[in-house]
Amino acid sequence: MLSRGPGRWAIAIPMALLALATLYPLLFTLNVSQKTRREYVLDRLGLTDRLSLDNFVAAWQTSGLNTYVLNSTIVTVGAVVALLVLGSMAGFAFSQLRFRGSRVLLLLILSALLIPFQVIMVPFFRILGGIGLLDTHLGLILAYTSQFLPFTIFLMTSYYSRIPGEIVEAARVDGSSTLGIYLRLMLPLGRPALLSVGILNALFCWNDVLIALLTMQSQDNRTLMVGVTALRGQYSDNIPLFASGVVIAALPVLLLYLFFQKQITDGVTAGATKG
Amino acid sequence: MPVLLVAPAVLVVVALRIVPLVMGANYSLTGDGADNGAFVGLANYRTLLDDPVFRTALRNVGLLLVALPVAVSVPGILATFLFLRVPGHRLYRSVYFFPVVLSPVIIGAIFNVVLSFDGPANQLLVRLGMQPVDWLGDGSIAMLTVIAVHIWATFGMALVIFMAGFATVDQSLLDAARVDGANLPQTVWHVIIPELSQTIQFVFVTTMIGMLTGMFGLLYIMTAGGPGGATYLPELYIWVQQGQMNRPALASAASMVLFVFMLVVGFAQLRIIKRATKEV
Repeated sequence: MLSRGPGRWAIAIPMALLALATLYPLLFTLNVSQKTRREYVLDRLGLTDRLSLDNFVAAWQTSGLNTYVLNSTIVTVGAVVALLVLGSMAGFAFSQLRFRGSRVLLLLILSALLIPFQVIMVPFFRILGGIGLLDTHLGLILAYTSQFLPFTIFLMTSYYSRIPGEIVEAARVDGSSTLGIYLRLMLPLGRPALLSVGILNALFCWNDVLIALLTMQSQDNRTLMVGVTALRGQYSDNIPLFASGVVIAALPVLLLYLFFQKQITDGVTAGATKG
Repeated sequence: MPVLLVAPAVLVVVALRIVPLVMGANYSLTGDGADNGAFVGLANYRTLLDDPVFRTALRNVGLLLVALPVAVSVPGILATFLFLRVPGHRLYRSVYFFPVVLSPVIIGAIFNVVLSFDGPANQLLVRLGMQPVDWLGDGSIAMLTVIAVHIWATFGMALVIFMAGFATVDQSLLDAARVDGANLPQTVWHVIIPELSQTIQFVFVTTMIGMLTGMFGLLYIMTAGGPGGATYLPELYIWVQQGQMNRPALASAASMVLFVFMLVVGFAQLRIIKRATKEV
């Protein structure tokens, strides 16, 4: 085994190199974002010793990123709230309450995990148009909610099913209604799972480009990731400004990762080890 | 009361996921343009099979299948080393996972610059005395490039799933192997792989689904299907036919083909879900 001796280090070195390879494109982009246009044309690889926010300010002011950030924030917050409310209600009912058809309904919802958005894109576009929600924040919120709800319910159901049924029984004996149990018992007990699944859903919504491209067509309604796809054309002759825009767009996710890494990895692995 | 708690969720999922699937299957049998709404049987599917762009998309799905063992085994091997507590394992795990949380659009934008013909990757090659490579402009390698970037961006996902699986490996089996004098390859082959068979299966399924449905952002920003239609996947084809070519019925037929792929891959996933819901 590996536990002692030089063998560990022989493996640690390639692992470190791989870590460097993972970070390099990101550090490269950060480095480029600090260069002037002239500096970049003369030397693409070299480290710059400049440290300034000029490019960030310029990119922020000229690219419309501020509008895109606002749009992304609105739809992400809206969708995450809807997902947590609907997901925790359903997860509680499926895991703790007995009612006719619960198993069938749960399987119906989980089977939607096999329907990626690409498969239903055309009809979805028409449905959203039919109810007048194309190119609106509410429409995109609805799209994200429907897209990520099965996954949310899967995680909330499996989390709540680990809570002993006696707790719910005891609350009922004490005279709590089902709604009371949900609000005063299940929501507080579910906090770790809600935090984890909320952050994951926030990432999904924030990072999406396909659904946002399809449903948000006017420039004023673009989300941040759709805006990033347009940056390259905007700054085709000024790569440092382009890189600055990319760094700005990546920053919120970087912060989220630094603070909530454990919740994120717990969330993505929660479904994997149940089998 | 319980029904009221699940009703909103059921309504949203049925109305916006299940119903569109049925509608899409129906559209795929109707015509585009002048034939809009008219029943045309399987004509759209025949058009798909005759379309060289869609055939390339199918061939590229084959390429994904070839890449799948790489995309699974690399994180598997790395997870094994991390599990065996290589020095710095916590830091490596954090670093390897980071690209997973970045949007494919951000990743694609970064690699657009890194891999452009006069970009840093080629400058490095030239400095090492090699020929520059047209990573995204050469039709014979552009798809491989995008797949490689996708694997770079997502291997951390499989890695943390493997590590969660490792946490469930029976420690006494590992101790017994050590007492019996098993070396590392023997331990991996006789203890770790059998113990992790369900995790490995799960990683195969999620990685394949990720490749089938998670590459749109990369393709959209890195190649937009080019050069010469060489980097199409079904998901991009659907997008182009729906949005740019105004052929929603043809796009629906391509959607159904993608759905069949999902069903084949998802069969294993469904079994896993069923096992999970049995515990409820």
